[in-house]
Amino acid sequence: MIHISNILLALILLSVLLSLRSNRLMALVKLMAFQGVVVSAVPLVLETSHGVNVNLFLFFLLLVLVKGILIPGLMYRAVKWVVVDREIEPIIGYHASLFAGLIMIVFSVYVTNHLQLAMFSESHKLLMVTGITTMGAGLILLMARRKAITQVIGYLMMENGIYLIGTALAKQVHTQYVVEFAVLLDLIVAVLVMGIVLNDINHTFDDVDTTLMGQLKD
Amino acid sequence: MDFTFSLASFLSFLVAVALAPLFMGVILKVKAFFAGKQGPPWLIKYYTLIKLLRKGSVYSTSTTFVFKLGPIVSFVTALMLLLFFPFAGLPPVLSFHGDVVILFYLLGLGRFFTVLAALDTASPFEGMGAAREVFFSALAEATIFVIIALFFRLSGSLSFAEYFTGVHAVNLWSESAALIFLVLIALFIVLLTENSRVPVDDPATHLELTMIHEVMILDHSGPDLALIEMGAFFKMLFYSSFVSCLLFPFHTGTPLFNVIIFYIIMTLVYATVGLIESITARYKMDMVPNFILTSFALVFFAIILTMEFVQ
Amino acid sequence: MLQLVFLIPIIAGIAVFFLPVKIGRMVLIGTAITHLLITALEWFHVTGPLHNKYFSNTPEGMLVLAIMSFLFLFISLYTISYMAEVEMSKEPTFNACMLLFLGAMSMVTIADHIIMLWVAVEATTLMSAPLIFVRRSKESLEATWKYVLICSVGIALALLGCFFIIFSMEMSNIHVPISFSSLSDVADQLNSVWLKAGFIFIVIGYGTKMGLAPMHTWLPDAHSEAPSPASALLSGALLNCAFLGVYRCHQLMHSAGLGDYSSNVLIAFGLASMLVSAIFILNQTDYKRMLAYSSIENMGIIAVGIGIGGLAAFGAMLHMIHHSLIKSSLFLSAGNILLGYGTKSIDKTRGMLRLFPKTGMSFFAGFAGISGFPPFGIFISELLIILGAIQAGRYVAVTIFIFCLILIFAGASRLVMQMIFDENKEDDRLVPETWARALPPIILLLTSMALIIWLPDSLYQTIQSAISSIGGTIHG
Repeated sequence: MIHISNILLALILLSVLLSLRSNRLMALVKLMAFQGVVVSAVPLVLETSHGVNVNLFLFFLLLVLVKGILIPGLMYRAVKWVVVDREIEPIIGYHASLFAGLIMIVFSVYVTNHLQLAMFSESHKLLMVTGITTMGAGLILLMARRKAITQVIGYLMMENGIYLIGTALAKQVHTQYVVEFAVLLDLIVAVLVMGIVLNDINHTFDDVDTTLMGQLKD
Repeated sequence: MDFTFSLASFLSFLVAVALAPLFMGVILKVKAFFAGKQGPPWLIKYYTLIKLLRKGSVYSTSTTFVFKLGPIVSFVTALMLLLFFPFAGLPPVLSFHGDVVILFYLLGLGRFFTVLAALDTASPFEGMGAAREVFFSALAEATIFVIIALFFRLSGSLSFAEYFTGVHAVNLWSESAALIFLVLIALFIVLLTENSRVPVDDPATHLELTMIHEVMILDHSGPDLALIEMGAFFKMLFYSSFVSCLLFPFHTGTPLFNVIIFYIIMTLVYATVGLIESITARYKMDMVPNFILTSFALVFFAIILTMEFVQ
Repeated sequence: MLQLVFLIPIIAGIAVFFLPVKIGRMVLIGTAITHLLITALEWFHVTGPLHNKYFSNTPEGMLVLAIMSFLFLFISLYTISYMAEVEMSKEPTFNACMLLFLGAMSMVTIADHIIMLWVAVEATTLMSAPLIFVRRSKESLEATWKYVLICSVGIALALLGCFFIIFSMEMSNIHVPISFSSLSDVADQLNSVWLKAGFIFIVIGYGTKMGLAPMHTWLPDAHSEAPSPASALLSGALLNCAFLGVYRCHQLMHSAGLGDYSSNVLIAFGLASMLVSAIFILNQTDYKRMLAYSSIENMGIIAVGIGIGGLAAFGAMLHMIHHSLIKSSLFLSAGNILLGYGTKSIDKTRGMLRLFPKTGMSFFAGFAGISGFPPFGIFISELLIILGAIQAGRYVAVTIFIFCLILIFAGASRLVMQMIFDENKEDDRLVPETWARALPPIILLLTSMALIIWLPDSLYQTIQSAISSIGGTIHG
């Protein structure tokens, strides 16, 4: 028997790996869109084993709209605005980032296995592993790259990872649409604000390289 | 050692060997289609082989017997590879416990002699090509051995044929589909690397400096070149069959039906290679290790997940 | 209608975006007054208690709300005259974001649902970001980028912590609404391992926002680069909101019987913050950064006080009130200094007493207050925390605590004395000081002074009930 959810999780892991080695900003944005859609589908697939729920499906559509279209769309415009299209000389190299990704998955499997989650099914365990790995990889991107856009993408990836962990742990939240909607709204506004700041950074510094910003320190 | 020699297996082996050059034609056709051309005839590779075999060989005076040995060994090892392969779920000609290791060492042996032959010419270009080839294959080898280990975990067997035909056959339709999915992508990357296809290497390139595999065989001519070409076809066939077997379990019951599906999937795999060659440019040389390491990372993810979740 | 406290500022804020500057200023003041009125109504429970699925009025929330509302009125009065002076082209944006920011912070104070609280805290980050980079200088952009990114990441970790807490409930097969009030009722049945993990993540997350070391790195940049009214609001109101998030979880831990664990975590983070700010304050060359580090120190003091509990918890709550008043006053004075001298460098702002007597006075008085001199409230609150720590037998903590206080006082006083009393040969005042801008900081200081002489009974009761759940009391 095949678990569709497992395939989805494998797709997420794939997108995580690819984003760690990618040096093109546009490719990263496309990966983000892909990852957003897959991440949105995970709760749907996990829950529909008990029957299809109309609300859940509508919310899935909303999530896809936001994570798969709206946010990547904003990022797409941001990349179009700035002149640079690729990450040059990352703080941590691509091979090292990939390696860090490997360590991340070992770590997440280790953590998941030591949580004594007896009540967890295998899919949920895998969900947990994927969530932690995605979150960790997002953090790696945040720290290892210079371009502000890549850092935003790292943040979004981290957010996706946390969403997955939330799906594994706090099933109750996913039935409270008001709360989920509020979280989603926050995410959109966050990307908007970051986008505006990014645009200003690009105007002022003629680049989105965060290492150019080193005026403030003690 | 258990030599399961049957007519069916032998026939399937012969069919595969005979069809190997045809599939290379598929790639050329797909590329031609995307370029909006008519492309060479389907049997182009057969014509090329016949042409080469009818020629004589030219040897540089500075070469030794190693140079002549290279093509022969690489051809023979590639042919031997196919002996172990369960085409379309049929039992292979040769199979024994632990043959997977032999298999990949055979591959290594073939490559070793090609490299030696290249170095024997003392041409700086060929030395450069050899260095690149060895570097990239060494990286790809890491992936392959993790895959072997992973399949051992999944199927509990160390025989290549058992991977696909045993009780716990490994394929995309089994319980561990998610992992196989990752492996498939990794294996495809290895396929592209080992067979010097785009985006790792461009078989159509004309500049020695940018070549990897082609530059090593610049000095070979006539029948020697034909042997090397055939070896390359077999190697490609081997990897494509590997991918095909993961894509579909050949358990439909009727062997003939299995064979037909198998070759359809094979055609698709070759077509995908052609498709990738048509739509992507080759990577800069320093991006290639990154590409290959991604495949390693993928199978590494998969094996970590199996270690914990598949008991 | 408790929700009005955040609905009105948000609606007003959106309106200000589109209104002309003059009307926008009126709306700003009007909303500040309305907000204070609603808060007063809630404070005296005129509208009755509210227990909605997402919101409720808790004593600690009301305390933070009251401080914020009071501060906002004076800060908005100051803003009007400050903005008129600097002639900022983006003033409508600034005023609108001030109001949106107030709305988001008010939402934090009344949020009861765990995730709603998170949403509100994240909203405060996003709404305050435009306040910091409104001038669009290189430095302010850098500060904003650090602020948004570090805080967003930190708060994302807090979301993880929230999920852990929710899971600790599902693990024990309890199904109650995921709000702090209903979770406290079943706290002793929650899974302690997950609760602890959740608490750690929440302290890291909201602690980032609160400026606890070592997650404080954004704070000196953001607080020093923001225009002064925004700095005052960030230091005086926002830090309290973040603290409220941590405090709510601490309460939950306490009712789950894990109070010792969470107390130790808070004390550790608090002392670390005090040490870090003590080290960095010594060699400051920028007076706004100096004030920012002082905010980190004071947040550390509050964390330590809450962690120690008992008498110290009362001290911590008092400290929160007085720190907000005095630090906002200091930032407003700093705004006047910046206008007057046109620089944030300590070396170039000498002889303040002669050039700007009103500002010099309020800045000096504020500094005395923040260093813990009577007749300002911090004197009492720090004394209570030290007494509480000695009572609780935490001698190591109290030693480090006092050591840091002395170090910070020594470091900061050298700089402040230089600013106020040193001779300045030059006599160029870019912008003369006015009462409109000098009065708000003085009023805030006077309030702190008044509260030490006469603590209203309702305030006293509110503090008492806010800290009773973690075993805090004024009666030793």
